[in-house]
Amino acid sequence: MATEQEANESQPLISQSQRERMARFVRKFRSNTKAMLGFSIVVMLVLVAIFAPLIAPYSIEETNIEDRSQAPSVEHPFGTDDLGRDIFSRVVMGSRISLYVGFGAISGALAVGAIIGVVAGYAGGLTDEILMRVMDAAMAFPPVLLALTLLVVLGPELSNVIIALAFVYTPYIARVSRSAALAERNEAYVEAAIARGESDSRIVFSEVFPNCTAPMLVQGSLNISFAILAEASLSFLGLGAQPPKPSWGLMINTGRGFMETAPWMLIFPALAIGIAVVGFNMLGDGLRDVLDPKVEAIE
Amino acid sequence: MHLKHQNFYHRVADWGLYMQESSKESESPDSNGNGTLRGRFDRRTFLGAAATTGAAALAGCTGGGDDGGDSGGDSGGDSGGDSGGDSGGDDTDTTESSGGKQGGTLQWGGAVPVQGLDPHIDTSAASKRVLENIYEEVVKLQDDYSIKPHLAKSFEQSDDNTLLTFELREGVTFHNGKEMTSEDVLATYERVQNGDYLATGFFEFVEELRAPDEYTFEIQLTEPFAPFLAKMATAELSVMPAENAAKDMVETPIGTGPYKFESREIETSFTMVRNEDYWGASDEDGPFIDTIVKSEIPDPSVRLQSFLAGEYDFINGIAPKDVSRVEQAPDVRFEKQFPKSLVYLGMNCDVAPFDNKDARLALDYAIDKEKVAEAALYGTGQTTASPAAPGSPWVNPDVEPRPRDLEKAQEHLDAAGMSDGYTATFKIPQSYPTQVQAAEVIAADAAEVGINLEIQQITWSTWLSDVYSKRDFQATTSSYLALWYPDVSFYKFLHPDGAFFFTNWTNDEYNSLVEEARTIYDENERAELYHQATQILHDERAGHMFLWWQPSLYGAASQYKGNIGAPDGSTLQFDDNWLDR
Repeated sequence: MATEQEANESQPLISQSQRERMARFVRKFRSNTKAMLGFSIVVMLVLVAIFAPLIAPYSIEETNIEDRSQAPSVEHPFGTDDLGRDIFSRVVMGSRISLYVGFGAISGALAVGAIIGVVAGYAGGLTDEILMRVMDAAMAFPPVLLALTLLVVLGPELSNVIIALAFVYTPYIARVSRSAALAERNEAYVEAAIARGESDSRIVFSEVFPNCTAPMLVQGSLNISFAILAEASLSFLGLGAQPPKPSWGLMINTGRGFMETAPWMLIFPALAIGIAVVGFNMLGDGLRDVLDPKVEAIE
Repeated sequence: MHLKHQNFYHRVADWGLYMQESSKESESPDSNGNGTLRGRFDRRTFLGAAATTGAAALAGCTGGGDDGGDSGGDSGGDSGGDSGGDSGGDDTDTTESSGGKQGGTLQWGGAVPVQGLDPHIDTSAASKRVLENIYEEVVKLQDDYSIKPHLAKSFEQSDDNTLLTFELREGVTFHNGKEMTSEDVLATYERVQNGDYLATGFFEFVEELRAPDEYTFEIQLTEPFAPFLAKMATAELSVMPAENAAKDMVETPIGTGPYKFESREIETSFTMVRNEDYWGASDEDGPFIDTIVKSEIPDPSVRLQSFLAGEYDFINGIAPKDVSRVEQAPDVRFEKQFPKSLVYLGMNCDVAPFDNKDARLALDYAIDKEKVAEAALYGTGQTTASPAAPGSPWVNPDVEPRPRDLEKAQEHLDAAGMSDGYTATFKIPQSYPTQVQAAEVIAADAAEVGINLEIQQITWSTWLSDVYSKRDFQATTSSYLALWYPDVSFYKFLHPDGAFFFTNWTNDEYNSLVEEARTIYDENERAELYHQATQILHDERAGHMFLWWQPSLYGAASQYKGNIGAPDGSTLQFDDNWLDR
C-alpha cells in the first residue's frame, strides 16, 4: 500500500513489528463501525470548529431586536434568539467553545493524571498508596459539583472552566494509567531494563509509559464527552462561559425561558451537545474495542 | 446598617426566585422614537403621578426586577399637612370596586416567597405584599401619592412644620382583640427610634414623641424635615401593639389591618383570613374575600402555566416576554401597574476606568437605551434620565437620556486618553433575565466604540456582598423599587450618606441641593432643587446611568374583581378585591 510505503520511507526507524501493529490497528479500526462513526462525527466537529467563522452566516454578538425569536426559516435555518441573533451561527461558533474546553481540560487531565498514575503503578508501595488515596478523595466528589466549587473560587471564566475540569478528570485518568502500569511493570522487558541498570525515571517514561497509552487514549476520549457535557452544565448554571459567548449550555439556559414560545432556542444547542457527546463516546468505545487485546482474543 | 444587610439578605431569596424575563415580541410601536414612551401607558398605570403633590412614587431599594425588596424609602408627604394637594386623582385601577361579593378563597400564585414578618425590619417586597394587608399606619399613601390620615382621624402641623399632632381613631382593635391607643403608637415609634430598624435614621430630627392622652399622639421635630410624614406612611412605621413593639423581632404579625395572619409554611405558602372586626369595614370597600392563600411558585414559567391552567385566581411577577401570552389568553385579566422599579447601570466612580468622567460619558453615548429597554422589556418599559417617578413634579423635563452617538462617544474616549476604548467587568445578577438580556445588548453596543464590557453573571448574594457591600466592581446593573417619594430617589442611593449609596459618585453641589430639599415643604420650590440636582446627575454622568422604569405585571382570572395593586406600585392591597363566583 502506498500509505504504508510512505510511512516506511519517512520513518525508517520504525521497526517492522511496530509498523505491523499500526497497520493492524488501522484495519481493525476501519472495520469497527462504532469507532468509524464516532471518528467521523469528531472529525466533522473539528472541521466545523476550525472553519466556523466561514460557515457562520451572521455575527454572533450583534443584536437585532426587530428579528427576535423568529422561527427557523431559509435565512435563519435554526431561527433567531431572544435578541435577534442567528442561532445557526451561534451553534456553529459554539462548537469551538465545546471542543476547546473538551480537549483543553482532558489534555490537562492527561498530562497530570498519566504521570501520577504511571508513577504510582510502577513504584507501588507507599508512593502508590499516597498518590492513589489522594486521587480517590478527589473522585469522591461528583465531577460537576467539584468543578462548580472550584469555579466559585476561581471566578466564572472559560479558562477557569478548563482548569477546574482538568482537575476533576485527573483522577480518572490516573486510575486507568496506574492499572496499565501495574500490568506492565511485571513484563519481561521491564525486568530486562532493570537488569541493564537503567534508572527508574528512564524505565517509567521510556519503557512503561509508551505501553500504557492505549487505555489512556480510550479513557481520554470518553472523558472529553463528559467534559463537554460538564462545560454545558456549568455554563447553564451561569458559572461557565459568560454571555454573549455562544456556549451551548448558556444558550440552553436562555432558551429554557422561551420553551413555549421559541423552542428552537433550546432544541438546536441541545442537539449539538448530544451529537458531540455521542461522537466522542462512540469513538472512545470503538477505540477500546480495537485496542483491548481481550476483545481481540474473543474475535 | 448591619440590620439593613440582614434585610438585604431577606431579599436575596427574593431575587433568586424572582425571575422576570422577556420574550415577547417587540410589537410595541413606541420604541422607535426617542424620547419617552409615555403616551402609551394607560392612565391608571401612571397614577396620579403627574399632577400630584408631593410624593411620587416608589420606595426605594436596590432591588431588581420585580420584586426586590424595597426597603422602603422614605416617603413623604411633602407639604406639611397633608401632603400637598392631591391632585390628579385618576388613579384607581380598572374595575369599580363597590359592592363586592363577600366570601370565597383567593388562590394567589406568588412570585417570591414571603420573607421576614417584622415590617420594621424586613425590606423584601414579597413580605410587604402580604404585610400591607395585615398592618396599617397612622397615615396612608393615596393613589395620587398624597398622604391622608388613616389610623388617625386627623392631623395637624404647626406653622413652622416642627410639631405634628395626630388625633387617633377610637374603636380600632388589633387582631388580638385589644383596642389601639396612643400608647401602642408611641411604643411603635419608640421602638424604631431607639432600636436599629429601617426607619431609625429618620428620627435624627425628632426631638420628642409624646402621647398626652389616650387618643393623641405628637411628634416634635427639631427642624423641618419633609420626608418624615411620608416615612410614616410606609410599613417601616407600621403600628403594632405595645407588647410586640417591646420585642426585638416580631415573628407573628398582629396589626389592625383588614386581614389577619393565619399561617405560613416557609417557601411554600402564606395564608391570611379576613378580619371580621376591621374598623374600616364596609359593604362598599370590603374587605370581601374570606381567605387569601398565597402559594410560593418562584419559577415564572411554572407559575404562568399553572395560572393559565386555572390553578390560581391571580399571579404576580409575569415576565415581560410572556405578556403577549397572557393578553391573548381567554378569560384572563392582564394588569400592569407603572412605575414599579428603576433599573440602572452602575459604574464604580472610585476605580478606573469609571473614575474618569469622560470614560463614563463615552459609555453613555455608546448605548442605545431605547433598544436596550425594548430588548429586555418587550415594550412594557420606559427609558429615563431621572430617578424621580415618571410624571411626578420632580422630573426635570429638560433632561433626557443621551441619544446614541458614536462620534461623541469617541470624542469622550479621546478626552479621557483612552482613544482605543477600555475594558471593564460588568457584573450582572443572573436571577434577573431582563438585566442579563440588557447587558448583552449594552455590551454589543459598547463594543462598537472599543469599550469592552466583560459580562460576569453573579448570584444575588454575591451581588450584595461584592458589589454592594464591598463595592468591588467596575460596572453592574441592578434596580430600585418603590421610589414614590423624591427623597428616596435623590438621597437614598445618590447621596454619600444615603442608605443604599454604593457607586462612589459624589458631588458637593448635588449633595447640598438634596439636603436642602429635605427641609422644604413647598412643592414648587422643592421641585426646582430636584431639577437642578437631576441636571448635575446628567452633566456629571453620575455613577447611576438610569436604563428604564418597569411596571408590575399581574394576571388575574376574570372572576377576580377589584383594583389590583397598591399606590406604591410594588405591593398589593386586597381589601377592595372580591371574587365573583
